[in-house]
Amino acid sequence: MNPLHWVSTVRLRVRSLFHRSSVERELREELQYHLDQRTEELVATGMTEADARRTAAHQLPGLEQIKEECRDMRKVRPIEDLVRDVAFGARLLRKSPGFTVVVLIVLALGIGANTALFSLFNQVLLRSLPVANPDELVVLVSKVPRWGTFSSFSYPMFRELRDKNTVLTGLLAHSGADLNVGYGGQSTKAVGEVVSTEYFNVLGVRPWLGRFIDRTDEERAVANPVAVLTYSCWQQRFGGDRSIVDRDIVLNGHATRIIGIAPPGFYGTELNRSPDVFVPVTLKKVFEPVPRDRFDNPGQQWLRVMGRLKPGVSIQQAQAAIDLLHHQVREREVQALPPRPRDSDNMMLETHVELQPGAHGFGLLQRELAKALRLLLVISAIILVITCANLANMLLARNAARAQEITMRLALGASRLRLVRQWLTESALLSLLGGGLGVVVSVWCQGALLSFLPVEQRANLSSHPDVAVLAFAIAVSVITGLLFGLAPALQVSRASLHHKASSENAGGFRAGLVALQVALCLPLLVIAGLFLASLRNTRTLPTGFESKNVILATIDPSLNGYDQPRVRHLFQQTLQAARALPGVEAAGFGHTVVLSGSADQMVLTVEGFTQKASDEMTALVNTISPGYFEALRLPLVSGRYFNERDAAGSRPVGIINETIARQFFPGKNPIGMRFGTDTKSPPNIEVIGVVRDAKYTTITEKPERQYYIPMSQNPELRDMTLHIRASGDPRLLVELLRSKIRAIDPNVPLFNVKTLEQGIDESLSHDRLVAWLSIALGALATALCAIGLYGVIAFSVARRTREVGIRMALGAQRRDILALIVKRVTLLLTGGVLIGAIGALAGTRVIGSLLFGVTPTDPGVFAAATAILLLAAAVAAYLPARRALQVNPSVALRYE
Amino acid sequence: MSKPSDLVQGTLDLLILKILALEPLHGWAISRRLKQVSNEVLQVSDGSLYPALHKLEQEGWIKAEWRPTENNRRAKFYALTARGRKHLARESASWERLSSAIVQVLELKAI
Repeated sequence: MNPLHWVSTVRLRVRSLFHRSSVERELREELQYHLDQRTEELVATGMTEADARRTAAHQLPGLEQIKEECRDMRKVRPIEDLVRDVAFGARLLRKSPGFTVVVLIVLALGIGANTALFSLFNQVLLRSLPVANPDELVVLVSKVPRWGTFSSFSYPMFRELRDKNTVLTGLLAHSGADLNVGYGGQSTKAVGEVVSTEYFNVLGVRPWLGRFIDRTDEERAVANPVAVLTYSCWQQRFGGDRSIVDRDIVLNGHATRIIGIAPPGFYGTELNRSPDVFVPVTLKKVFEPVPRDRFDNPGQQWLRVMGRLKPGVSIQQAQAAIDLLHHQVREREVQALPPRPRDSDNMMLETHVELQPGAHGFGLLQRELAKALRLLLVISAIILVITCANLANMLLARNAARAQEITMRLALGASRLRLVRQWLTESALLSLLGGGLGVVVSVWCQGALLSFLPVEQRANLSSHPDVAVLAFAIAVSVITGLLFGLAPALQVSRASLHHKASSENAGGFRAGLVALQVALCLPLLVIAGLFLASLRNTRTLPTGFESKNVILATIDPSLNGYDQPRVRHLFQQTLQAARALPGVEAAGFGHTVVLSGSADQMVLTVEGFTQKASDEMTALVNTISPGYFEALRLPLVSGRYFNERDAAGSRPVGIINETIARQFFPGKNPIGMRFGTDTKSPPNIEVIGVVRDAKYTTITEKPERQYYIPMSQNPELRDMTLHIRASGDPRLLVELLRSKIRAIDPNVPLFNVKTLEQGIDESLSHDRLVAWLSIALGALATALCAIGLYGVIAFSVARRTREVGIRMALGAQRRDILALIVKRVTLLLTGGVLIGAIGALAGTRVIGSLLFGVTPTDPGVFAAATAILLLAAAVAAYLPARRALQVNPSVALRYE
Repeated sequence: MSKPSDLVQGTLDLLILKILALEPLHGWAISRRLKQVSNEVLQVSDGSLYPALHKLEQEGWIKAEWRPTENNRRAKFYALTARGRKHLARESASWERLSSAIVQVLELKAI
């Protein structure tokens, strides 16, 4: 169709739609003109005026029908009908507010839950990094046989791979750095990212203001530090002040020039990390001087590496090329090393580089949440099916109430198609309204969902729906509307004048819908129960220490560029201040925090212990001060704790846990034995104590080897976390502690302040998120089932009021009537529960890997889930049953 | 009753377009003209004339305009559009092909 023609016909359609009254007037006038002319003609032949008029009208019969046919020609009939159907539907819904409100609540919950989950799913699993062509990005990981996958590379390796490869348009390296940002006399903690020059270029990000880091910046960074701020950091900490570019801020005690601002929405390469400041990679020398050989030693692997594929190069080709290059570099590295045990050389040479799709960066959050999120999305889809079954049931019940209307309309000549359209329009109207409410509900749910995640993990997640989420909500609404509207509409289409559109034959279908809801609901309750049991199992696992009443707070004076004596002095002052706070039972420093997910690891040498091939020699290490074990109430098994006499100059001492004692000193008293961490010199650390085993990194870990060394004997102290045990609520101490530390040194910020219990909860945040989400969805499903069951029972009671009346009049007792209802409910439930239990047995298998300490077929959980469902059903059936029992036979017989 | 059962489907459209190709006319005049030119052979009921006119207008083949008539009343005059003219040419060509084909068949039968 040519556009000009299109324009002219659209004008006609628009006129027909929006100037309907003048179009109608013209039609009337046109036909009237015809009649008048004909009359005139007839009068001319000698007829009287009145006869002529009558004859003319007779010759143009069915004037209204002609008009109707002319209207049909306007081609806007479907739209006009739709408008009329919507208006009529809206009027009907207003007329029965109770029904409408229930339907809308059910819809809002069903669609809202789905939309909220989809939004999370979309943000975590679907959405790529906010960079140019993220599908071209690859992440480099190294696979070490028998050790696993590692994501870090050394600086020399990065340089070689970057300069010599021919398959990538660019390679970038980055790593994290803790920063103290000083500006305008204030000092705050910030998340820093040290990045290689290629970083922004490879990612394809353009500066919002100023410029990004170039090679000169990188080379001169130690003398002339520069930094790029993220947009959100610039907005939040500097109020979006454009003049900040080319001005200096203080980063870890060094005046640093701001050279540019990254564009809004750019958060780097990890969804669960949101850096504030990007600095050249060379600044790591300044900010974290230890280890000193960071940039030269191939054994120092600390950089994450990403690249962008050249056009036309597949990821497999690139991997083959990079792996070969990596191997060549490794061979040279091995040759350059002094002679060492063969097997460690082999380990270096057997390492392979693998390229992984980098559209999500390293995708840690994605990997952790993927399985659970997929499962929850399936659950929410099941909720949607339950919602549809539920609403279909309500609308079918309503059809019975509308039987008269249907019959009337059919009698007046409405076509079946017309009625079906009217019915579908009504359900579409309901579902779109419900979908709109659902979006509101989802924003609220999403906020609640995100609050389960630790702050740093949700930094880049938002509860505001984006275009994809809105499109999803609309699609889900429309599909829901069609699904739940179809059965009622088809029922109407089968209605005829003789056979009322009632629900005699729909009774079985409706009961089937309730059974379906029950069958779908049970697996969801079982899954919720399993996750709850699993969460309880993990949360109540013995940790070895007492987490109650302990508050944690981290300080890192080294970030201010202080030297070690000053750092040490500051820690000492802080510890004294903390112990002097009212209500403090014990206080001590520890470098790593239990169950925070990270720990340092060393390889041990042990006096008098000959290593067999099967022996693992690694152990976790923590640097602690006196008071640490007391604060955690980690009991001593033998020997002593550290004290003030274990000083820098005195002989090196260490405390080991029971696992180390068992493995390395079996049947011996470990006190006085020595171990070491340097293969070149004999073991020099003397064991002075053994403490009980505890959980160190994650709560579900197997017993780990762990040893402790005193702060005083660790030459390079960095961040330390204060562990304070209070006699009461430890949170009351926080403000006091802050002011004490401000008094000691105002430039040392206190960060990661939280109770130990909060910390442990955070370490379980994903489990908690999944557990509570599945419980919420299970509860929703149960509520929907109960509503559905209530509806069916109430409906059948209402329809059988007369029957009940007759039965009672004929002498039936209340319990007979009750038996009638109980029989019906039991029938409905038995089928549903049986099918649901089979479904649950089949379905829960897939979540086995997400559970801890409970099998997917746990009979207790199955029994509890069934009991809850039956209880809800009993409550739902009781209310209408009570009404049936109160039927007064004489009233019932006059009913209808 | 309103369907032009005595006319081949679509023929009415063709006739209206042909009549309007000569001059713009209002509905009544078209109805008169139809009877006139076909010597009263083609009995087009007025009931089907108006829906047909409205259809042609919506298709964009004719356009309508309110103008005073010779006896000074307002009437809706229809006139052929450029697209309508093209459509008419196309349709009359195919009509001619069809009718000559039918004529040929009929003659064949006569032999």
